[in-house]
Amino acid sequence: MPDELILDMKAIWKSYPGVSVFEGFDFDLRKGEIHCICGENGAGKSTLIKILSGAHSPDRGTLLFEGREVQNLTPHSAMEMGIQTIYQEHNLFPLLDVVENLYTGSQITRGLVIDQATMVAKAREILEYLHSDLSPFDIVGRLSSSARKIVEIAKALVHEAKVIIFDEPTASFSQVETDHLFEIIKRLAQNGKSIIYISHHLEEVFRLADRVTVIRDGRKVNTYAIADLTEQKLIRDMVGRDVSLFYRRDELPIGAEVVFETRHLTGNGVRDVSLTVRRSEILGIAGMDGSGRTELAELLFGVKKAESGEIFVNGRKVKMNTPLSAIRQKMCFITEDRQLQGLFLKHALTRNIPIVSYTRTRTPFATPSDDVKITEKYVAELRIRTPGVSQLVMQLSGGNQQKVVLAKWFASIGEFFIFDEPTRGIDVGAKEEIYKIMIELLRQQRSIIMISSDMPELVAMSDRIIVMRNGTVSTLLEKQEINQETVLKHAIGVA
Amino acid sequence: MNLRTYTRRENGPIFLALLATIAVVILVELIFVRGFDISKVAFIKPRNMANVLMQVSTTGILAISMTLVMVSGGIDLSIGQMMCFIGTGMAFMMRIVGLNDWLVASLGVVVAVLFQVLMGFIISRTKLEPFIVSLGFMTIYKGFTYLITNGSEITIVDHFTFLGGTYFNITSTFRIGMPVIVLIILEIVMWLVLKYTKFGRSVYAVGGNENAAYLAGINIRKFKLLVYGLNGLFVAVATMVLLSRLGTGNPLIGDGKEIDVIAAVVVGGTALSGGKGNVWGTLIGVLLLGCISNALNILGVNPYWQYVVTGTIIILAVLLSYFSGLTSQSVKTGSRKGDSQEAKKALAN
Repeated sequence: MPDELILDMKAIWKSYPGVSVFEGFDFDLRKGEIHCICGENGAGKSTLIKILSGAHSPDRGTLLFEGREVQNLTPHSAMEMGIQTIYQEHNLFPLLDVVENLYTGSQITRGLVIDQATMVAKAREILEYLHSDLSPFDIVGRLSSSARKIVEIAKALVHEAKVIIFDEPTASFSQVETDHLFEIIKRLAQNGKSIIYISHHLEEVFRLADRVTVIRDGRKVNTYAIADLTEQKLIRDMVGRDVSLFYRRDELPIGAEVVFETRHLTGNGVRDVSLTVRRSEILGIAGMDGSGRTELAELLFGVKKAESGEIFVNGRKVKMNTPLSAIRQKMCFITEDRQLQGLFLKHALTRNIPIVSYTRTRTPFATPSDDVKITEKYVAELRIRTPGVSQLVMQLSGGNQQKVVLAKWFASIGEFFIFDEPTRGIDVGAKEEIYKIMIELLRQQRSIIMISSDMPELVAMSDRIIVMRNGTVSTLLEKQEINQETVLKHAIGVA
Repeated sequence: MNLRTYTRRENGPIFLALLATIAVVILVELIFVRGFDISKVAFIKPRNMANVLMQVSTTGILAISMTLVMVSGGIDLSIGQMMCFIGTGMAFMMRIVGLNDWLVASLGVVVAVLFQVLMGFIISRTKLEPFIVSLGFMTIYKGFTYLITNGSEITIVDHFTFLGGTYFNITSTFRIGMPVIVLIILEIVMWLVLKYTKFGRSVYAVGGNENAAYLAGINIRKFKLLVYGLNGLFVAVATMVLLSRLGTGNPLIGDGKEIDVIAAVVVGGTALSGGKGNVWGTLIGVLLLGCISNALNILGVNPYWQYVVTGTIIILAVLLSYFSGLTSQSVKTGSRKGDSQEAKKALAN
């Protein structure tokens, strides 16, 4: 019985416009096993979930469920077959109670009338099975994050799930809550449910898994029985890529002077972060998704207020209450999501590029001819490919849009740059141009904090790297200590 | 410049729509009412033209600041009832309390601005929808109005005559009233403000992407207070204009005005989602709706039908800007002077 396959994916291909995610991906899941998936950010974990839950369909390849080939999987048919996904974010109705949430879309009826009594009784039964003290009538919005997770599991059971996919379920859980969840997951597996468990936390993997599959760049690297797996093997499989083939930056002398410093910065989901950045230095910030990197950047730039801790710019203590206070300190923040946070998509380049520079002068006036001059200057300097300065930004390519974001900050004559995922979603050529621009900034005595999920990029570009884990700094790596294995070890908590 | 490129200019389609409407009105009156005698067509008589301008002046003034509010991503439903409140309040101060005109005018401005700033404060500090917040204020003002007037009107003959009673004779039959002058001055001032000040840029930036605007260092809270405060100022001015023209503080003086104003702004090309629009487009929108309502009067159409026609025009105008918006995107790339070659290269890269 334990070797019977419930799910078998063979040679799956999947690409999105511009990027190929799966290139011949294989994966199999046995009945009643807990199967963990490991991989770096962007290795293809979320694509796997999307395919199995029917949200996206693969371009090529076969998917067997209980030995039968499945085609054109939709979210609805995936659920009917018995594949349930429990996402990182909750998919519940906060204003409804537990029973209503469990039976949304699948109410038990007697004739035309909803059979409330039966639903409540069944809900009680399932909650009892999960050893939960939740009442069927609790309003979901008032429950804790871990209790909601239980409701989601109960919902999967209501739908008679055979396969349950967990995506990072323990984010923001306490130790006790995690233990309780693991107990439930193990019980589910013993009762014949098959579990796919995705996690950045290696100790969870070793506690739970029967088997582990490592994926990298859209391919399965290896599948191990847990007994055969060591941390070294796992890390080696996850990293794999050769950094030496990657972009080679010029090495520049780093100034002794500290231009930016935080002491015990806490707030916005980040705890006790102390860091320093020197002149002409790139300080990399590594960490898995959800480790608090972007949250830290938001604190540094005043997007969110810190609860405690201090920030020093050029040795002077400053308060970062709003982005404006950061801009006054000549800081620049190239945000992770350029379309939502960086650009005025429906406006011309001339309305985008000069916008931050207005904060630099005291006059209330803005001159259209100056806007055009500034825009033309940076279009030329950064080689933004556009038919003209009155082009709307939404008509540019991703790489050129990213350059518009950079131009916006360059026009503000900033001294200290925070790059959050500077090359996400842009093509290789444009990436290299962005790297060159960053190095040019260093040459002009400016300093950079660089956040990136792209490990080779981060390793190649950084002078030092801070690795974040669970909202705090797990370690600081000096130049000679930086390599992918070490960074990853700290990011997933093995070291 | 040929017609096709003209329709791609920002106010091109709506301006053409205004011309077309005027042409249709003249033709209809000429053919069906005046029996092909062009000299009898009342619509194009200078006196009537002056009349149209006078009639749209209040809506026009209100529409200027509403453009500001809507381009920056907000909306204000309360302006009509605020006019009732401020209008009857000012009439009360003059007639019953007996204060002098200038004092009353200043009080009106201060109260209007304060209430709008209060509304702006609530909207900027919370995530509440401007639609709902202004709906609440609208109802509050309605209450104030009836508390002041008890439902009856307060006549104020011989007050504010400077605004309502001053005329400039251009020809013997064409004279322009002070309200129209006020409208034109405010129009030009706001155009300059939007074009040549940082505040003007912020209007478009906040409406285009509030998040990005915040990260670019714009103080969103202060900005919104300013926008709604300005709106209050414009409402006060429009109220004084209307009050002096009518010579009475009627509790219905501004009733339903918000609908006319929002309609004109939307017809004039301002996107409800914000980030797009300008005061000249709005002025054309005001004139378009004004001409139609005037023409329907001249043609002797049942006043109840006027609502139906006006409503239809609003929908047609929005459809027009929707479709012209759809086409302008793909064409704009190549239409800028002489760089279409470069454009093709850039897009190929």
